[in-house]
Amino acid sequence: MIEHCKECVDLLGDYVEGQLPPEQEKALETHLSMCMPCITFVRTYKATRRLCRTALAKEMPSELMGALSSFLGKHVPGFSCPKSKQGQPEAVAPDSELKKG
Amino acid sequence: MGWSRLDRRRVLLYGPPPLDQPHPMMPEAPRTDGEPTDRELVELSQKGDGAAFARLVERHQRQLYRLALRMTGSEADANEVLQEAFLNAWQKLPAFRGESQFSSWLYRIAANSALMRLRRKRRAPDGLPDQPLELQAPKFSSEGLLDPPPYSDWSQRADEKMMSSQLGVAIEKAVQELPEDYRTVFLLKDVDGLSNEDIATSLDLTVPAVKSRLHRARLALREKLGDFFGA
Ligand SMILES: [Zn+2]
Repeated sequence: MIEHCKECVDLLGDYVEGQLPPEQEKALETHLSMCMPCITFVRTYKATRRLCRTALAKEMPSELMGALSSFLGKHVPGFSCPKSKQGQPEAVAPDSELKKG
Repeated sequence: MGWSRLDRRRVLLYGPPPLDQPHPMMPEAPRTDGEPTDRELVELSQKGDGAAFARLVERHQRQLYRLALRMTGSEADANEVLQEAFLNAWQKLPAFRGESQFSSWLYRIAANSALMRLRRKRRAPDGLPDQPLELQAPKFSSEGLLDPPPYSDWSQRADEKMMSSQLGVAIEKAVQELPEDYRTVFLLKDVDGLSNEDIATSLDLTVPAVKSRLHRARLALREKLGDFFGA
């Protein structure tokens, strides 16, 4: 049972990442269902992450990829840049789900 | 095939990526696209296959770039860290035993390279003394209630305003003002999507330390964004 907002706020880090043990998650959600300030707090806490991600996400510039390839090409025998293999899953930016603004 | 016990353990350890934050690199296997796993490419590279190594580079360079960029704060430095790290990895690869995931091993190498570079460069930082640890945080009454309670839910307005350049500037500034240790962890996690475990490995922290910095950084940023929205 969570009575105090402070406890609720302390658990938010794990909560927003879905890492709270089920009992704690349930207790937290029970508190949320009764506490408007905490609801607002959670929403703005989540929005903080979302906004920062949108504002600050950085992709590796393609010139750097080129520079890296040619550098390694000089030092690693047989190094051949796999010219952007189709559909490398790692090419997906971690913020893709946030691109809509 | 190529789906080793270690890989499996890693999945157990890390679990699926949290829904709100897809992790681009984890778990490693199995690959559904028919591409070889890291482990397979590592084994080929260890036998001197430069093309296999090139595929590992292709696979990991973006995330390594983010790490290098966040640690050094400069694109030029990140570039050099990346070159050094991958070259280093190639040279050390024969000694890589695979007790850890290749990507974690790589992070560690890149992080070391970034740290050395920072140490070499670290002149008296321009007028900034050791940052005082005055992170903004919510306040509570003696009964543990939010005090003052958050008056307005600016998360709604935030989405409308999302693209405003003023907001962008405010965010840059707020993040810059975080103490460096907090800022790096926050950027790596919430902006770049690295896992807590990879951040811990790279920065030589425990996972609880990563989580605690992350949470405090978010709380401080939340306060500042609240100020921005006049909440
Ligand atoms: Zn509450």
